[in-house]
Amino acid sequence: MKLNKNHIQTFVFMLVYLFAVYFWSQPYQERKLPYGEFDAMSHFEVGDWMAYNDKSLVRLPHYIDLRYGNDNLFKPHTLWYPPPFHTALGIMEVAGGERIVPIFLLNTIMATFVIITTYFVINSLFGFLPAILSSLLIIFSPRDFMPYLWGQWPERFAYAFIPIILYCFYQYFISYSKEKSKPLYLYLTAVFLGISLLVHPLSLFHSGLGIAALYLFLSIKQKKLVFNWRHIAVSFVIFLALFLLFPYQTFNIFPRLGTKTDAEQSVEKAPIESIDISRIFKWSLDPNDYVGSVPSSYFSYKEMHGLWTLPFLLFGILFLLFRRQERDMLLLAWLASLYLVLHRDLIGKAAFLHRSLSATQHIFAPLTAVGAVYAGSFFKLPSNYNRYLKYAVVFAFAYFVFSVNMAGASQILNKEVYNPYNQNGFLTSINQEEAQASQWVLENVPQEYNLSVLGIPHTDDFISATAKKIRWMAAVSQHVNRFYYLMSNKEEVLKSPDWYIMVDYTTLLPLQDREPFKSMLNDALEFEKNALVNRTLVYNKNNIRVYKP
Amino acid sequence: MSIKNEAKEFIVFALIALLAATAFSYALFGITGIRVVAGIVFMSLPFYIFLNRFELAEGEKSVFSILLGLTLFPSLVYILGLVVSFRLGILITFVALLGIAIAVSKYESKKP
Repeated sequence: MKLNKNHIQTFVFMLVYLFAVYFWSQPYQERKLPYGEFDAMSHFEVGDWMAYNDKSLVRLPHYIDLRYGNDNLFKPHTLWYPPPFHTALGIMEVAGGERIVPIFLLNTIMATFVIITTYFVINSLFGFLPAILSSLLIIFSPRDFMPYLWGQWPERFAYAFIPIILYCFYQYFISYSKEKSKPLYLYLTAVFLGISLLVHPLSLFHSGLGIAALYLFLSIKQKKLVFNWRHIAVSFVIFLALFLLFPYQTFNIFPRLGTKTDAEQSVEKAPIESIDISRIFKWSLDPNDYVGSVPSSYFSYKEMHGLWTLPFLLFGILFLLFRRQERDMLLLAWLASLYLVLHRDLIGKAAFLHRSLSATQHIFAPLTAVGAVYAGSFFKLPSNYNRYLKYAVVFAFAYFVFSVNMAGASQILNKEVYNPYNQNGFLTSINQEEAQASQWVLENVPQEYNLSVLGIPHTDDFISATAKKIRWMAAVSQHVNRFYYLMSNKEEVLKSPDWYIMVDYTTLLPLQDREPFKSMLNDALEFEKNALVNRTLVYNKNNIRVYKP
Repeated sequence: MSIKNEAKEFIVFALIALLAATAFSYALFGITGIRVVAGIVFMSLPFYIFLNRFELAEGEKSVFSILLGLTLFPSLVYILGLVVSFRLGILITFVALLGIAIAVSKYESKKP
């Protein structure tokens, strides 16, 4: 059998993609423990609950409802996202046969799926080299893997649909004629638009703007208006069917559109002259508006893309603007859609603005790669020199990706991130001992009982970090977990038949030689000795003890 | 029944690719990794068979079917999971979708 060039290229891409999965899955490869910020916990909790309890989740269980009960404004106390994403996690937990790795691995695959869709679209329209170079850049894009680490899981997957939606619409438009057309591509556009809404609405709005821009650009380019009411009607029905599939969640968009975030209220209240019109000439956002929630590096081109990519990016954009082939319109429309979503605050819609910024590399990478691949053809050289120059630039591109982008990315995403056994995650992440104890609670403590925890630092200096640890324990145990000392009804809890008490020394013991941990440890020991005498010790392992009422 | 060379080549390639993905997942996550890869294949397979009846490129069919598998398959499982057990919902969804996809492609191939 003869080796097919396409298959070899696809195989090369596959190796690159597997490397992406390797690179992104580092935080749980060895420890196999859950990790991440509050959002990550919530996504894990929903998928895990369905798989573990063997049923679909409609009304939120108490341990999830405490934080997310009112996130669905249309139908409070139900899922606040449409269920497909979390159900997929649950299915994978069933298929994988355990609770942690299958969910986290599928999430990694979904979060990196934009690498596959971008490769596919760029390879189909521009060829292998721009496609593979784009993939390499996205693998090491901090604006992609930082939100992934923080826990914005559905959003990461939803962005994978944008290139596919634009591609399907593009194929429909360019194949359209009165005699013959390919409506299947428009139907697929509607299917993927509907699905993107079911995964995360940000991607739907982004794609909608992309389609509008692409339609405009292609109409001007081809000097034709594409309109077929039958195709549009079928597509609308497909989209509507998907929209109505989970009305409790999709209808949540309407009250959400009516609510104003703090940022939106301040934009609305601002006098017209104080609105920063100069922002239309800026691409990124002001890091000062996000102090405390997003690191300032997130807004820096140099930190996120590497300054070396800038000339290629600018050349790529200019090259496409001058060339203006049909396929070039797709990339330009994609870029225009990103610009529009990033400036929606100018019309008073500032919610999740920084999250739209996380879609930057998906279009910057192809533009940069196109710029690099075609840079070699800018000068007319004799003989085969243009070809040699192209490969030299591609080689240099790959070198910079690994020496600059990968090196930078490895500082942020590595095996030590959220490691509960070192400084990275000691206070924030759940450790093996806590995970085991939480699993015991899940299997042995009836659902209606809650858990009050002592021993994990709870004071103001630590609470922002340790609150994550305790929430992960709640996620793994599927029980409400509260810091004992922060409860207003401490005395009642001690006497209550509804509360188990957990004393967890795994955080304080390694720090017992310094204050305030030494005092905290003594307090916990004292408390256990005096206040829990009337309770029954039911779990005693790895410096964690659980007392039954 | 004769299979076209192109299709034969694709099947061989797909199997090699699957083998590589499985070996990679096994190396990193052991048997769980293999089961996750298998899970994705099973969720996507009915959609691939269904899309196979359309005039789409191999790449389109593969990428679209994984995207549909990771989203529409769970949607149906979720709905079924409201009335039967979640695990049974997965099984019913797989059998039903696969059955529909095969029936549709058989019906299409019988058309003159």
